[in-house]
Order: sequence, then structure tokens, then C-alpha cells
Amino acid sequence: MLQNESSGVSGVAHRILIIDDEEDIREVAALSLETVAGWDVMKASSGAQGLACAIEYQPEAILLDVMMPGMDGPSTFHELRKNPATAHIPVLLLTAKVQASDQRRFADLGVDAVLFKPFDPMTLSTQIAGVLGWN
Amino acid sequence: MDPVAPPDLAAALDSMWTKFLPELRERVAILEEANTALATGTLSVELRAKANAAAHKLAGVLGTFGLTRGTVLAREAEIVYSGEPDTDPVEAAHLQEIAAGLQAVLASRK
Repeated sequence: MLQNESSGVSGVAHRILIIDDEEDIREVAALSLETVAGWDVMKASSGAQGLACAIEYQPEAILLDVMMPGMDGPSTFHELRKNPATAHIPVLLLTAKVQASDQRRFADLGVDAVLFKPFDPMTLSTQIAGVLGWN
Repeated sequence: MDPVAPPDLAAALDSMWTKFLPELRERVAILEEANTALATGTLSVELRAKANAAAHKLAGVLGTFGLTRGTVLAREAEIVYSGEPDTDPVEAAHLQEIAAGLQAVLASRK
């Protein structure tokens, strides 16, 4: 799946890419960012598709799921950082893992932030904007 | 979820809930299948992995739909199935209670 969906016009329409194999999470996150913040949201259902989408569409940030079949979140992150076309794009990991050891491991990857599932659809964009200084 | 979500977001979330409810029920059904297998001593490695993944996904999504209790229950199941579950009756009964609780949580959101 590779989609580009423009939406609302309130505020600045930031371009963000969501990479998550779980359709429900992907759709709710996209709905949240489009409806609440008016951002342009692109969606990919795997690490490989996400990498291709990031290269082509050059989002301002990437929301990246950790646990995915095939290329998982950390592997996708490394590929994004290795590629000159995507190395500069901020990456925020999205995970349902709550154990401290997992959180330390994710933070050590060098991502810009780690966000946790479940998220609040009303405040997800605020969380992301805060991390990225978009406020 | 914030109880004062704007009407358009709330309506869209309701629509998504309806769309994804069958998949959520399937995940709970996987947990129930694994629970039964555990209780009868027939839980395979594959089914345990499926139960772990189902619980993980439920934990991640239910709270997003405002069902915090569902996330708490699913995390309990995930912790059990991420390791080697005990085959004792108490553990099996606890897991059945979790699955029943998850069914109730799914039924509670209209």
C-alpha cells in the first residue's frame, strides 16, 4: 500500500509518512493527523514500501512502527539513515512495547523520539509537533 | 481518547471501529484458541507466537479507541504469551478471564 492523502488546511500542512503494517493503527493515526492537524499524510504498510515512499515523497517526518514482518522498524530506520535521500528526515518510532529494556534499546538507535501505543488521536499531532519543534 | 473529540473525528473513529471490529474479534479468538490449547497441554510454539502477536496488537490499538481497560488486559496476555506460559489451571483460568474481559471490552463500544 502506498497512498498520499491531502486533507485539512488548518495551520501548516506538514508532510508526514506513517509506516505500519497494522492497518487499524495506520488508518487511525492518519485520520488523527489529517483531521486534527490538517497535515498531508502518506501511508505505507511495510518497511520496504516506506523506504520507497520516503525517497519519492520526501516527507518532513516519519512515524515508524517497530514490530513489522520482514524489515522491522529498527532495520527500516537504519536503511533510511544509510540512504542520502532520506538520511535527514526525522524518524519517530511508534511502539506498543512498554518494558524499560525495550525503551532503552529504541532510544539507543538514534531516532528522534519514541512514541507509544496506544496513542490519543486527539493529541498525537501535538506530540509529534512538540518533538519536532513544529509548534 | 479525549472525550471532547470534535464531531468529525469522533464520527470517523466510530466508522473505523466498525470497519476493524471483525479483525479485533479475530485477535481475541486467537487468544481464546491459545488459552484452550494451554489448558489442554497442546499449545504449540506457532500458536503461542500468534497469541503473543494478537495480544500485542490489541494492546496497541484498543486504547486508541478509548478502551484503556482493553489495553491493560491485552498487555497481561502479551506478557504471558511472550514467555513460556505455565500449564497450571490457575494460569489457564486467568487467561480465560482476560479473554472474556476483552470480549466484554469489544462489546462495550458501540
